Amino acid sequence: MIKIALPAGDLRIPVAGLLESAGLPIEGYGEGSRSYRLAARDNGALTVRVFREKDIPVQVALGNYDVGVCSLAWVKEMHARFPNQPIVPLIDLGIGKSSVFAASAEVACQNLVDLGTLPIVRIASEFPNLAELFARSARLRRYRVQAVWGAAEAYPPEDADCVVTAVSEPSILASHGLRPLHEVLHNSAWLIGNAKALAARDLSPVVGQFISTSARGTSANGLQLPPPIQATVAEPTSTAERETLRLAIPDGHQQRHVVEALRVAGLTFDGYGDGEAVRRPTSGIDGLDVKVIRPHDMPQLVATGEFDLAITGRDCLLEHRYAFPSSPATELVDLQRGQYNLSAVVSEALPATTIDEALQLWRAEGKLLLRVAAEFPATADHYARSRHFWRYQVIPIAGASEGFVPEDADLLIEGTETGKTIAENRLKVIDQIYRSTTCLIGHRAPKLSGRRRGVYDDLLRALQPT
Amino acid sequence: MEDSMRPPGMRDMLPDDMERFRRIEGAFRTACLGWGYREVRTPTIERLHLFTAAGTLSPQMLERVYSFLDWDGWSGERVVLRPDSTIPVARLYVENLKDPEVAKLFYVQNVLRFSEGDDSREDWQCGAEIIGDTFPVGDLELILMTCEVLERLGLTPEIKLSDPGILRSVFSRSGYNQAEQLSVYDRLLDGEAGVLSEVIARLPEASSAAAELLAMEGDGPAFLANLGSVLEPGIPDVAPVISELATIADVLDGIGHTPKIAPALVRNFEYYTGPVFHLFVEGTKVAGGGRYDALISQVGGQSVPASGFALEIEPLASLLSEREFGAEPAIAIRSAGKNGTDVGAVFTLARALRDAGVSVQLAGSEEGPSREVLASSDGFSLTSDDGKARRLNRVEEVVRAVSDAGYD
Repeated sequence: MIKIALPAGDLRIPVAGLLESAGLPIEGYGEGSRSYRLAARDNGALTVRVFREKDIPVQVALGNYDVGVCSLAWVKEMHARFPNQPIVPLIDLGIGKSSVFAASAEVACQNLVDLGTLPIVRIASEFPNLAELFARSARLRRYRVQAVWGAAEAYPPEDADCVVTAVSEPSILASHGLRPLHEVLHNSAWLIGNAKALAARDLSPVVGQFISTSARGTSANGLQLPPPIQATVAEPTSTAERETLRLAIPDGHQQRHVVEALRVAGLTFDGYGDGEAVRRPTSGIDGLDVKVIRPHDMPQLVATGEFDLAITGRDCLLEHRYAFPSSPATELVDLQRGQYNLSAVVSEALPATTIDEALQLWRAEGKLLLRVAAEFPATADHYARSRHFWRYQVIPIAGASEGFVPEDADLLIEGTETGKTIAENRLKVIDQIYRSTTCLIGHRAPKLSGRRRGVYDDLLRALQPT
Repeated sequence: MEDSMRPPGMRDMLPDDMERFRRIEGAFRTACLGWGYREVRTPTIERLHLFTAAGTLSPQMLERVYSFLDWDGWSGERVVLRPDSTIPVARLYVENLKDPEVAKLFYVQNVLRFSEGDDSREDWQCGAEIIGDTFPVGDLELILMTCEVLERLGLTPEIKLSDPGILRSVFSRSGYNQAEQLSVYDRLLDGEAGVLSEVIARLPEASSAAAELLAMEGDGPAFLANLGSVLEPGIPDVAPVISELATIADVLDGIGHTPKIAPALVRNFEYYTGPVFHLFVEGTKVAGGGRYDALISQVGGQSVPASGFALEIEPLASLLSEREFGAEPAIAIRSAGKNGTDVGAVFTLARALRDAGVSVQLAGSEEGPSREVLASSDGFSLTSDDGKARRLNRVEEVVRAVSDAGYD
């Protein structure tokens, strides 16, 4: 049996085409499909599972899957932090091409040397490990990396000095007002393999087919790291206090809840409504700047003072607080929308109704290591500690979570609303961890005065539930 | 390995290991205090930017550093487990000890760096730093202090001297920029044959003998004189470097510690700015150090010269004999019965003997020293080395008898 991990998302269609031409057609993989577990049409010896692309190197490194298809950037992202992970890039499939660039706002830096003059460089990236590697190689004297869930290009200039991000062509950077400083990687989708599986088992029915039929790319799989920057760091300048209050509001699935909450509060932002979101909507309120970013990234930006207020989910705030217990980011108003339960979920077949029963069962079975899959890894870690798990492994996942249990995890920390999706995937809730809703968050002890204080108080008042 | 609860690369230190450790530490502390150094200790966790800003740890070394976001690291700035002690001591000096013109500091602490497989990831070091007064007295003091530590441990050190300035002068004259110099040096460290010939070939004015001598090791002032005569005509910048090294070699030679000169032997090319020295015992490198004049200013202080060295405890411990290990307690005390008064008599006697400075063994006394006291509420029976037993009624009598017999 050969186990293959295939990507969800934009790569589905080109990868499905490649598989078809490689003589490995996968039933139900391709346009419009949302299935996670699939089978090869003519080959019973293949097991196929669909993951978010980012999760595929993790799954192949763990040995849960023998081979996988994903962007090289995600392999490099993992290798940058864990260079000994047993993943081998096998063949450039020549699809999903992009480049990973270090870039900064056109107004801020002309080149890498300019970046090196900053006393502390704020780097926003979906690839935090590559960003660290970039900073070390460039010998930036001091830097901090903001790991973001997406839309890194939205951060400069006000919330980051530099981004490390993937774009299909450099002109996209220019459209966001960014200037590429250094190309870190030519990225494309690759077939990757688990080194131990390649060393010990015959994977040629898959690997051989890909190699003989794929339209190959450049096969260059190395990172291009910058040389040491020879720059004199400028003396830190004292920055004047901002004159406006900054509010972050979310895109994605929380947007409709927030639009409604704002409407009820008598607030409408031009460029932020049902089905529309520009990056910097106009608040229409003197002294209030509004920016649309990913809800996951908001607590950190509130903690560091980039934003005074943000509307996000309690799940995102708690994840941040579990990772950084003394963070000053705190919940100010419960907007009581977008409710769901964060639950511990197991296989329907497990004969247990509580987490304690499940732990007893697993212990009796001699299970030495519990695998906990979670989109919120710090929350999962806190949960495992508080429930006295003996030895456990938190597997961070980016999505497509329902397919993990039971093959690739014993327990899933997952958001549940009606329980329908859980039941459809033969899973069940075994513990409710907390109820999440949309919240207004801010700094525990904000230092505000004058107009900013007034706008802050007005917003808090307006958003209080009636 | 997979089945052990111990993470790879981490070591348990067993009683024999700790005895060796303490012996080394004791010899080191005695030597340092005797030369006027004072002890410090730096924290296990430091900020990452202390090391990135210093610019002295290469990206390859930084990849081996254990870094993480602390529980209050929401800004995204990392902290590290101390990968090196000299840079933290430099920070400690800059932040706390700027007033004295010369700071002479020593420490015994661990450094943590990732290694492959089960190779050691935690290494204990005895290190000393002199900040403010280096050439030539400070450099020589450090070398002789290291020799003293080794001699106190009954070991005979061999000194090897070098200076990265020799290779820097050669590389620079050959037209390599800073990044290329590092690359050439890495190839040299990797043992790539012909690297030095390749470098010298770029210098038509240099003698082909230069490559030969750079790759050699030679004895003290005589070899330095030869090296100077071959290099200086084509590479004038090397003259002051060799002169400085010769001053140190002359002094060491004069006091009977003739050093070997090894021009290409510099492990951390970016770190050191002046003479460096390595100490070997029976072919094993046990200590290394040298001059790092740029470091204090790189961590935010004034431009102050500095030198330091570190003894590596693990290789040094493997060279020590076991002769002083396993010192047994002087006397075992056993209880005649298990009732409270008999056991109480054991502890009354034990306290009195401990107050008199005698080492005792109570628990596990079945396998203890042959001399022993059997204690009961009625009195004591003392058995001597010769196996003879005698009856003693009072605690004071036992203490006197044990002291008179010279047990302690």
